[in-house]
Amino acid sequence: MTAGPVPEAPWQRLDPRMLLVHPITELVKFLPVLIGLVVAGGASGTGPWALLGVGVPVGLGVVRYVTTTYRVTTARVELRRGLLQRHNLSTPLDRVRTVDLTASPIHRVLGLATLVIGTGSVVTDDDDRLLLDALPREQAAALRTHLLSVLHPVGEAGSDAPAVLAPEHVVARFSPQWLWYAPFSGAVLVAAGAVLGAGAPLLESVDLRVSEDDLAIFSPAVILGLGLAVLLVTVALFVVGYLVVNGGFVLARQGAAWHVRRGLLTHRETSIDVARLAGATISEPAALRLARGRRVNAIVTGLRGSQESSTVLLPPAPQATAIATTTAVLGSAEPVTGPLRSHGRKAATRRWTRALLGCSPVVVAVVVAVAAGAPPALLGLAVAAVAVALALAADRVRALGHGHLAGHVVARSGSVLRRREALADAHVIGWNLRATWFQRRAGLATLAATTAGGDGQVAVLDVPEPEAVALALAATPGLLDDFLEPR
Amino acid sequence: MNQLRDPAHRVSPRARTMWQLEAAVEAAVAVLAGGIASVVWVPGPWRWLLLGVLVVVSVASALVVPRWRYQVHRWEVSPTAVYTQRGWWARERRIAPMSRVQTVDFAQGPLARLFGLATVTVTTASAAGPLQIEGLDRDVALGLVDELTRKADLVEGDAT
Repeated sequence: MTAGPVPEAPWQRLDPRMLLVHPITELVKFLPVLIGLVVAGGASGTGPWALLGVGVPVGLGVVRYVTTTYRVTTARVELRRGLLQRHNLSTPLDRVRTVDLTASPIHRVLGLATLVIGTGSVVTDDDDRLLLDALPREQAAALRTHLLSVLHPVGEAGSDAPAVLAPEHVVARFSPQWLWYAPFSGAVLVAAGAVLGAGAPLLESVDLRVSEDDLAIFSPAVILGLGLAVLLVTVALFVVGYLVVNGGFVLARQGAAWHVRRGLLTHRETSIDVARLAGATISEPAALRLARGRRVNAIVTGLRGSQESSTVLLPPAPQATAIATTTAVLGSAEPVTGPLRSHGRKAATRRWTRALLGCSPVVVAVVVAVAAGAPPALLGLAVAAVAVALALAADRVRALGHGHLAGHVVARSGSVLRRREALADAHVIGWNLRATWFQRRAGLATLAATTAGGDGQVAVLDVPEPEAVALALAATPGLLDDFLEPR
Repeated sequence: MNQLRDPAHRVSPRARTMWQLEAAVEAAVAVLAGGIASVVWVPGPWRWLLLGVLVVVSVASALVVPRWRYQVHRWEVSPTAVYTQRGWWARERRIAPMSRVQTVDFAQGPLARLFGLATVTVTTASAAGPLQIEGLDRDVALGLVDELTRKADLVEGDAT
């Protein structure tokens, strides 16, 4: 039984071991009902009913196994599924964008893997995904190699033998040290904020009571301790979550594909075809930046930003690892670490004015309140708002930059969510040059290189217009020549 | 100095008339709704001040925006690329190489049909927005669709 392509290939069943897996997963789904049945059965002494309860999920599992067949022909992958509602899924081989392997703990015990074939369509319904659940691990890996090799016909075309596996070159591997960065992902800030937000009113109410000596049990120390405990638990949850998702992370290049393997319990293996790898995004949200960490995602043609989990090249990890990884993926260090051109004084001015305008409602409200008789201490709030706005603006000014480095359009911007994006010239499929009246007056524009993956574009914020045009000219020679102002 | 020039062609002058009609209707609706709301909810002299501001803003934007829009909206097709410019306060120029064009759409709303106008939309594989030319003369639009389809067909590949 090979997964090799044969014209008019026969329909195949999935691995018979799924007869074991399906009942177990169905049993888990039916667990509440089953417990109810067993309890009821035990109480009324009707034992056989409980057995029937077990029989239903087992039967469903068998039906799923018997009714699911698939085949791989020279041109298409096809999947048939369902007893009452038949699903016939079929996709041309050349539309395959990604091939993922996943294995839950049950799958892993039995040596199985689920093959998920991504075609870049925006299907969210689980029923309509091309999912082979499951095949023996080696067979799934071989089928993946075959599906990816169709995209890159190397050697003699149409050979039936499974391609010889190219050696794997590991670029990044999980290290326990990475766990340090788990709490610094953006999410933990939200959690901390929520804890503080919930804690502050509590503290206030406590302040009132502490003035009464008999309620000393609610001393600030106790409250502080409680807060710390909550924070510690949150951090622990994040570390465990990080470990479960990213444990055993490996990024490796094999032939013409990048493989990302990760997951402590459920193994997940994503493959990104090199020809579809348009670029990379290095994210450095403020918290992660403070911890000297970075996160890297790939920009993959045909994969939208919403399918982010399929494009992870590196979870939050040390900056040096992120730089080395991105360098390996892009094939050059320049787009990753090369110097960027700053956008000049007028772009900086825009950051300052926007920050100050942004915090002006707070200032106005505070001033009006104080004028109306609120305690003058409130003015501190206005000062704090202005200080935060100015700090953000200064950081945003520092971040602004662009460049054309080693055949990549590179852009960096943002403060709280700073990122540096690099997009290979060959994957630029158009340019958007947007300028409001204010921007035009300052001689600036926002240039976006459009592409068929990720967010659909890599935007260069508030760049002087001649430099925007120069960047576009360098990245796509000839495209703009007809539209330039005559000299 | 590298500077992009404006695309060569303006859209049909009838587009300006159409936009003026649209803007006038919108302004009338805004004034009417605002008028009723302020008569019902706003007391005393504030009512007339608010209404006055509403009328001035509506009339001014109905007068200015369509003209401004007509000044900005332009398009051009070279042998290798499509170049469009649209908007008014925010001006957006978009350039797509012919080799990346995926679909060319021709659309006519009821009002546009009345004015003999049409909208041509050129999409690429990017999610970041198609190139759109509004207010083209119907025959020009049809010719453009023809030309673009022919040129895009000449290029091989899946345009990603």
